[in-house]
Amino acid sequence: MKKLQIASLVVLAVLAIAVCLLESGTLTRLQSGLLGVISPISRSGSAVKSSIDSLGKDLLSLDQLQTEYERVLSENRKLRAENNGLRDLQQDNDHLRQVLGYRERSSFRLVPALVLGHDAGVWWNTIKINRGSADGIAPDMPVITDKGLVGKISVVSSNLSEVLLVTDENCKVAAKVEGTKEQGISAGSRDPVGELRLTFLSKLADLQPGQKVYTAGVSGGIFPSGIALGTVKSFHARELDGEAILEPAADFGMLEEVFIVTGAK
Amino acid sequence: MRQGILFIILLLLLPIAVAIQDLLPAIPPFQARILLLPVVFCFGVMALPLVPALFFALATALVQGLVLLQIQSGEAELGLTVPVVFFLLWAIALQMTSEATQGMRWEVHALGSAVVTLTLLSVEFLMLCVRRGGFPLEMLVLQRILIPSVTSLLIAPLLYFALCNLVPVFNEESHPVQKPNFSR
Repeated sequence: MKKLQIASLVVLAVLAIAVCLLESGTLTRLQSGLLGVISPISRSGSAVKSSIDSLGKDLLSLDQLQTEYERVLSENRKLRAENNGLRDLQQDNDHLRQVLGYRERSSFRLVPALVLGHDAGVWWNTIKINRGSADGIAPDMPVITDKGLVGKISVVSSNLSEVLLVTDENCKVAAKVEGTKEQGISAGSRDPVGELRLTFLSKLADLQPGQKVYTAGVSGGIFPSGIALGTVKSFHARELDGEAILEPAADFGMLEEVFIVTGAK
Repeated sequence: MRQGILFIILLLLLPIAVAIQDLLPAIPPFQARILLLPVVFCFGVMALPLVPALFFALATALVQGLVLLQIQSGEAELGLTVPVVFFLLWAIALQMTSEATQGMRWEVHALGSAVVTLTLLSVEFLMLCVRRGGFPLEMLVLQRILIPSVTSLLIAPLLYFALCNLVPVFNEESHPVQKPNFSR
């Protein structure tokens, strides 16, 4: 074997050992770097994919366009009528708030983001979104849709982030069941069925299918209180606690746009 | 010099493969994913001579390890040791196979891609079972391992045909490339 080859193998061995001994902080920085490298490909690929997807939708016949136009026109009239009614209601509401000294309930500051793709990792449930540290996004920020909780930011690069979904086994959320005093910890499962398991409930909890489950918002936690998490599908008592199987509130198969909760208003 | 260019092209293909496999939709009805990284890895280690192939395997391990990295309570869930050992061992095995078949063969690449995908997903699953406890070996889990492996088998020839012309251009020392001959 040539001397150069032996020297190369020694370098390889040293590099391999160095890679194996990397600490979590360095690994996180490297992971952000990798996200930064693939960010332009992901963004342009996602744009191409959206264009291809919309191509079929845009090719409508004249009859379809006419029908669509009439439907939109009629919906517009209806919404304008509703809007007029709501304006009156808003005025009444403002007046009553003023009278009662009502403090406006604090709501979230949201940053909208587009889903670029679901990660191909088979055992982990993550997605990539087109927002990063340049948009004020940081690790552990909650991600939601209008339907409910999606997950939390796990890795951030300058303009791309990875979201760990609530359906992942590692994404644990403190949750409460509507209409009861039951609280537990929700997490995904390794068997890839997309359900959530709400554990540490009371064995005697009498949960019924269809009951809503919301985030509990514990102190020191990252998820604010009151975000829809899912619906109870079934409940069974275990040896030490009760476990409910939940249908997630967010539709993970149809995720296109999400919102990152960057703080309270 | 020319070998270096081939090595750099293959290195660039790794993040591209990661980005593309994330964009590809899951395969219904089991929502199995298509994995391109093992296919690119197999091509790289078979196209390059032994030492560059081992460096390429290390680079693949780093990329795959970082893609799957989950930090839990300040600690990496799986770390990079398993991917590094896994890809280095497979690089040696595929190099030996190339030697045995006297050159790169598209059939070996396709089969290698499928077996690497199968073993990669199985090792990941076993590592997670060790780390998190439990062993939920259900039909859905088996399907999630088998379907990407079969997909790799089917996709591998496409990548092989697209890239096999690069190997003689850039790498005169590599294993001879055997192009497919369907005119029997």
